[in-house]
Amino acid sequence: MDRSQTPPSSPFNFYGAQDPSMNVPLTSSGSSFSPYLNIDPSYLNQGGSEFIFPTEKRTRGRFELAFSQIGSSVAAGAIYGGVNGLRLGLSETAELAWSKPKYVQLLNLTLKRGAATANTLGVIALFYSAFGVLYSSSLFFDVDDERSTLLAGTSTGLLFKSTAGLKGMARGGGVGFGLAALWCVWQNRDRVKSSLGVNQTL
Amino acid sequence: MEEYAREPCPYRIVDDCGGAFTMGAIGGGVFQSIKGFRNAPAGWRHRALGSLTAVKMRAPITGGNFAIWGGLFSTFDCGMVYLRKKEDPWNSIASGAVTGGVLAARSGWAAMAGSAVIGGVLLALIEGVGILITRMSAEQFKPISPTEMEDPSQLPPKPQQSPPFGGQPAYQ
Repeated sequence: MDRSQTPPSSPFNFYGAQDPSMNVPLTSSGSSFSPYLNIDPSYLNQGGSEFIFPTEKRTRGRFELAFSQIGSSVAAGAIYGGVNGLRLGLSETAELAWSKPKYVQLLNLTLKRGAATANTLGVIALFYSAFGVLYSSSLFFDVDDERSTLLAGTSTGLLFKSTAGLKGMARGGGVGFGLAALWCVWQNRDRVKSSLGVNQTL
Repeated sequence: MEEYAREPCPYRIVDDCGGAFTMGAIGGGVFQSIKGFRNAPAGWRHRALGSLTAVKMRAPITGGNFAIWGGLFSTFDCGMVYLRKKEDPWNSIASGAVTGGVLAARSGWAAMAGSAVIGGVLLALIEGVGILITRMSAEQFKPISPTEMEDPSQLPPKPQQSPPFGGQPAYQ
C-alpha cells in the first residue's frame, strides 16, 4: 500500500487514512468508525479553525476604559501639580534655611497644588468619559468612532467652561474640539501618513 | 455596556483611583447640590446659583479625596498581594488600616491610630458583608448530603448474590 495514494485528509492530520506498515485501516471507510476509538474520528478534526477563543479583534469599550482614563488623569494631574508646587515652593522659600517652616511650606504647596491640578484633570476626564459613553451608546451613534470622540471633546469643553460666559464656553469648546481632533489624527496616523506620503510623491 | 472585570494588579491602582474619583465626584455633586440649595438665601435664582457654586467648588475636592483613598488603598493592597503571595480579606483590612493611618500622618500619632482603626473596621465591615452575601447566595447551590440518601423503599432490595464471571463487571 503506497502512502502517496492515500494523502492526509487535512493539514493537521499527519496520519493517512490507512497505516501502510500495519495494513489495517485506521478509519474504516464504510462506517467511518475507527476500530481503536470509541468515537467517530471525523468529529475530531474537520479542517476548520482549532481555536477555542474567538479570534476576532476585540477592543475595549468606553465604559470599560473610563475608570482607567479618569484614574490616570488624576494621577498625572497630581504628579504635574505636585512638581509644579514643589518648584514654586522652592523658589518662594529660597532665602529660608532648611527648617520646619520651610518644610511645612514646601509640603503644603506640593500637596495643595497637586490636589488642585488632580481634581481639575479628573473632572475633565470624568466629563469626557461620561460624554463618550453617552455618545457611543445606542441613544446616539451606537458605534464608537471619531464622531463620538469629537463630540465628547467639544461637549466636555463647553460643560467645563459653562459658568464662564458664552465667550469662555466657546473657547472651552474650541479647545476640547481641537484636542479631540488631534487625538483622532494621532489614532489614525497610519492612514494620514500614507495619504500625506502619496501627496508628497506626486 | 460591556462586562466589567477587574484589572490585574499593578493596573488596578489606576483603575481603582479612577473609580473612586468618579464615585466621590458624583456623590459629592449630589450632596453639595442639595446642601448648596438649602444654604443659599431664599429665591429660586439664589438657590440654583448657590447649588451650582457649591457643586463647582466642593464636588471635585470630594472626588479628589476619594481618589487618594482609593489609589493608596489599592497600592497597599497590591503590595500586600505581592509580599504575602495570596489574596484574602486580611489584605483589604490591613490596607484599609494602613491607608487611614498614612492619610492622617500630618495630624500626629493619635489621629493616625484613630484613622487606622476606622479604616480597618470599615474595610472589615465591607469584606464581612461581601463574605456574608457570598455565603447566603451559595446556600441555594448546596448539594444534598450523601448521608441523607437512603435505600429507596419503593424499589426491591439489592440483589445479594454475586454476579457471574467472578464479579468482574463487563463494560462492553
